Amino acid sequence: MRTVVADDEPLARERLIGLLEEIGSVEVIAEVRDGREAIEAVETHRPDLLLLDIRMPRMDGLEAARHLGSFEHAPAIIFCTAYDEHALAAFDANAVDYLVKPIRIDRLRTALERAGRFNHEVLRELEKSVSTSRERSHLCARVRGNLVLVPIVDIDYLLAEDKYVIVHHAGSEVLIEESLKALEVEFEGRFVRIHRNCLIALDKLAGLTRTADGRVLAKLEGVDTELEVSRRNLPALRKLVRTL
Amino acid sequence: MNESEKHRWLPQFCSLPTLFALMVVAEIVALVIAMAPDRAAGSWLSELGIASVFVQWLALLNAVVLCSSREVLERLPARLGFFSAWTLAVVTTALGSAVVYSMDHALGFGLTGPPGVIWRFSLGNAAICALIAAALLRYLYVRELWQDRVRAAAKAQVDALQARIRPHFLFNSMNTIASLIRKRPADAERAVEDLSDLFRAALGTREMLGTLGEELDLIGHYLRIESLRLGDRLKLDMDMGALPRDMPMPPLLLQPLVENAVYHGIQRMPDGGTLSMHGTHHQGMIEIVVRNPVPADVAHPRNAHAVANVRARIEYHFGDKAALIVQPTRGEFTVTVRLPEATRR
Repeated sequence: MRTVVADDEPLARERLIGLLEEIGSVEVIAEVRDGREAIEAVETHRPDLLLLDIRMPRMDGLEAARHLGSFEHAPAIIFCTAYDEHALAAFDANAVDYLVKPIRIDRLRTALERAGRFNHEVLRELEKSVSTSRERSHLCARVRGNLVLVPIVDIDYLLAEDKYVIVHHAGSEVLIEESLKALEVEFEGRFVRIHRNCLIALDKLAGLTRTADGRVLAKLEGVDTELEVSRRNLPALRKLVRTL
Repeated sequence: MNESEKHRWLPQFCSLPTLFALMVVAEIVALVIAMAPDRAAGSWLSELGIASVFVQWLALLNAVVLCSSREVLERLPARLGFFSAWTLAVVTTALGSAVVYSMDHALGFGLTGPPGVIWRFSLGNAAICALIAAALLRYLYVRELWQDRVRAAAKAQVDALQARIRPHFLFNSMNTIASLIRKRPADAERAVEDLSDLFRAALGTREMLGTLGEELDLIGHYLRIESLRLGDRLKLDMDMGALPRDMPMPPLLLQPLVENAVYHGIQRMPDGGTLSMHGTHHQGMIEIVVRNPVPADVAHPRNAHAVANVRARIEYHFGDKAALIVQPTRGEFTVTVRLPEATRR
C-alpha cells in the first residue's frame, strides 16, 4: 500500500514510519506536516492510505478528512491521536480506524489490514458525520481539474450564481458547488447576509454608503467592488455594525 | 500548615483586634453601670470615670490571664475548655475586685462603696463578669468558627484550581519518549526525568510552598520536553536571571501560562515561533512577561479558563498587590504577572 503520513511533530512521524517499515507491507511515499499539505499530497501522489494526526496547525486532521470525502480517488484514512477526543466517537461507528499514541505495532498491523477493506462509501459517511459538527478552516474548489484550498480568513465575500457560489478572496475568485444557505449556517458570525445572493465577511466590512437614488452599498477592506445591501437585510446589518 | 488546621476555638487575647474588642465591651459595661438609674445623682461623669478605670483594669487583667493560659485551655476538649475559660474569668474578676476593695478601704478613698461588704462587692462584680464573659466567649467562639470556615472554603477552592497537566501533554510526551528510546536513549532518559519532576509537582495535593527558582526549573523541564516534540518550531527567548530564586511560590503557578503559550500559540503555527519570557525585579515586586505568537485567524484566544485559574491562585497567595494582565492582539498574546516579593500566607 502506498502511504502518506501526516503529523506536525517530527519525532511522531519518525516513530510511525519506523513502525511501518518494521511491518513492511506499506511504502511511505510522502510525509507532511498539516491537513492542507495532506490534501495536496493526496492530490499529487494518489496514495492508498493516509495516516492522519488529528491536532495539527493550519488545518486539522478531521477537516482534511472532510475535504477528502469529496475526492474521487480518496485514500483510506487511519486517524492517530494522542488522547481520546470525543469527536472520535463519531468514527467508531464507521469502519474508519483510529490509533492512540504511542501506537502499538500490533494495533497498527490490525488497522492496516482493516484499511485494505476500506471503501469510498465509508468516507462519505464520515464526511456526513463531521460536517454537521464543526466549522471548516478552508473551502475546497477545483479550477480546471486542479485542487484549490481557500483559507476562510482570506475570503472577502461569497456571491451566489445559478447553482454555484463564487468565492472572492484576496483579489481572485473560484467557483464552488455549495449552497449559500449552508455556508451561512456553517460560518454564522463570520459571514453575514447582505443580499439574497451575497454573504460578506463581517471583519472586512469598512462601511455603508447611500447612493443618490437611495440604494445602500457595502464597502469592504481591500475590495474595489461595492456590494448592494438589500432593503430586507439592511436593518439586521445596521444592528450588527453597531454592536461591533 | 498544622497551626492553621488545628481547630482554634479560643481567640488570641493578646492580639490587638481582640484586645480592642474587649476594651470596647468593657467601656460599654462601664457606661451601663454609670447610667443605671437609682445611683447617687450629681457626680455622673466622675462615676463613669471611676467605673471605666476599674472595668478596663479588670478587662486587661482577664485578657492577660486568658492569654497566658491559652496553651493549656486549647488542649482541653472544646466544651470543657470553654467552661474553664469562663470560670477563670469569673474567678479573676472576683479576686481582682476583692484586692481593689481592700486597697481602696485601706487607703480610705471609699470609692467602692460602704466598708465591710467585700463579699457583696466582689461577688456582684463576678456575677456581672459571668454574664458578659459567657456572651463574649460565645461570640468570639462563633466568630473564630466562621473565620475557620471561610478560610477552609477559600483553601478548598484554590486546591480545586491547582494546576493539572493536560492529558494531551502526557500522551504526546510518552509518544516522544517512545520514538527517542532507540535512536537517542540519552534524550529519552532526560525526558523521563523531566516528566517525572513535572508530575511530582502536579500530583502534590497541597499548595505547599516551593520557590520561584523551583518553578523556573519546572518551566525549564516542561519546555525541554516540548522542544523535543515540536523540534525547531519552538524557539525560546528566556531572560529570568534578574529574579530572586528563593522567593516563596506554590508549584506550577506560572507553568500553566507557559503551557498555554505553547498549546494555543506556537503549536498552532505551521512554522512555529518564539516564546519569550522576561523577568524583572525592582522595589519588592517581580514582573514576568510571557509573549507568544498566535495564528492570525484566532480572534479570541480560547485560554481564558486557564488564565482565570492562575489569576485566582495568585490572588489567594499574594493578595491585592499581585496582578495578572492579559493583552491579546492580532497575531500576538502577552501575559504579564506582577507579584510582591512577600507572600501573604
